Amino acid sequence: MTVVAPASRTSSGRRETRTKRLLYAVGGTGAFLVFAVPLAWALFRSLQPGEVIVAAPDPAAFFDLTAENFTALVTGPGNLIRSVGNSLVVALSCAVLTTVLATAAGYGFARFRFRSGPVLFALVVASMMVPFQAILTPLYLQMNIMRLTDSLLGLVLFTTTLNLPFGVLVMRNAFSTIPGELEDSAHIDGAGTFRIVTSVLRPLITPGAATVALYAFLAAWTEFLGALTFLTDTDLYTLPVAMVNLQQETYGEINFGYIAAGSVIAMIPCVVLYVALQRFYVAGLASGAVKG
Amino acid sequence: MSAVTAERTSAPLASRPRTARRHSLTHPPRVGLLLVAPALAMIAVFVLAPLLFALGISFTNWPLIGEVEFTGFTNYVSIGSDLGFLRSVLYTLLYTAIVTLPILVLGYALAVLVRSRRRGATLLRTVFFLPFVVGLTTLSFVTLLEAQPNSGAINLVLAALGITDGSTAWLVDGPLATALISGMVIWGVSGLTMLLLMSGMQAIPREVYESADLDGASWWQQEWRITIPMLRRTIAMSLVISVIGSLLAFTQFYVLTKGGPGSATATVVLYIYKRAFVQLQLGAATALSVVLVVVVALVTAVQLWLVRGEE
Repeated sequence: MTVVAPASRTSSGRRETRTKRLLYAVGGTGAFLVFAVPLAWALFRSLQPGEVIVAAPDPAAFFDLTAENFTALVTGPGNLIRSVGNSLVVALSCAVLTTVLATAAGYGFARFRFRSGPVLFALVVASMMVPFQAILTPLYLQMNIMRLTDSLLGLVLFTTTLNLPFGVLVMRNAFSTIPGELEDSAHIDGAGTFRIVTSVLRPLITPGAATVALYAFLAAWTEFLGALTFLTDTDLYTLPVAMVNLQQETYGEINFGYIAAGSVIAMIPCVVLYVALQRFYVAGLASGAVKG
Repeated sequence: MSAVTAERTSAPLASRPRTARRHSLTHPPRVGLLLVAPALAMIAVFVLAPLLFALGISFTNWPLIGEVEFTGFTNYVSIGSDLGFLRSVLYTLLYTAIVTLPILVLGYALAVLVRSRRRGATLLRTVFFLPFVVGLTTLSFVTLLEAQPNSGAINLVLAALGITDGSTAWLVDGPLATALISGMVIWGVSGLTMLLLMSGMQAIPREVYESADLDGASWWQQEWRITIPMLRRTIAMSLVISVIGSLLAFTQFYVLTKGGPGSATATVVLYIYKRAFVQLQLGAATALSVVLVVVVALVTAVQLWLVRGEE
């Protein structure tokens, strides 16, 4: 590089040239547009009436925005508002259940010595290697026998299990980093196991628990294949399944306005939670939270 | 107390098995077992049991109604002549081959943009990762809308650039649908690779670059000779993650093409899903699943090994 004169340093300690700053500005702006515009566009689309969405753009109608797609979610076909409720119930229950079970197990694995401990922990880690997509058929048959198909409880138990191995890993790490003296003095003060976790250790494990809850919520909220397979009663459909149903049932005369509005509703919790809790999300990545 | 009694009481303690002596009063083993039991029970019921069940079913014809018949290795032997399955394997490998490298390269480029503390880097990081957070299901629905001939934004942009006339029906043509879905996935998931690589890049001590600067190494040289070699493990891990995701691809294909036209875009998981839940051939479908479990487990084992090595 020929431009050397105004060289300041970035945090990475690398030379900062004018060329580099220019490249950053241009590349950053370009990439920003590539990633942000489609999502903003999806929001814009949801405010167009269905017939405008599928018509060749006509300047007269293109910018006549309306909330009718969203009001139609309540009144229109496909029971979309109900499916939004189902998705919320499943995602919240999954987040709570995963966090509770993972916290208990994480504490057990981190602090208690029992003979089967290492083997059981290896089992938890090993279960991460089984893709649920590949055991869907037997899982369906088994859940059918257990009367857990066509049931939101069944879906919650299923999505919770998907998130557990990662959750247990995160919580075990969270407990492992806490000095043992803290528990010892609480024991001396006469606190029981439950009290110790919920009051003495709670502030220290909150970041880990938040990471687990966040991932569990988002995973359950966006989960598709399981819900598609296990639910046949349209009243129980989660949002993505209801949208597929809407698309299939009415193919040919499908109202894309509903699809656009449904997509936006599906995006909202993801975007809000991620932006608000970004550091917990990033913390989870390091623990191998993400599968593809 | 005399020394004698003291010796007597300590004797049985010493002769106990070693594990018993490690038993803690504040952390009794029984409580530990109780704490881990619920999570383990869930994993046993919803992962391990179906896995064993799968092995069992795969050796039968398993009709929904009627008697279950033990058929030995028939289901496995017939995989070799199951042209639909072999086709879906080839298609999935093709799809994986198409998206893997672009995801890595784009993810790397984005990571280079956001790794420093320049103004706006945090905002960019957030925005680049948003599509991944939104998830492929929702992105597929958005794409469905925008791929419509003459009205979808993808076609409108291509027409405005003079590349097409804007009437492309992406989803009814195998190669076009593959291109569309690949493009969407590359755009949608490279943010994950970015975050993984960025954390790795930020962990490289700055002194390494400072001395490289003094030696007059150019930006490219620093990237090739320092950053990439030091990120070997992180790069390998993000590759494994994206490969597994591609091998198990389902949602985007189900929403956008249902594997069509015909079975031109049927991935392995989509094929197995149809075999099981549309054609109701559960035995055959499960044998295929067992094969998939083995392949993905091997790839995931590599991932876990990499994560472990990192710590």
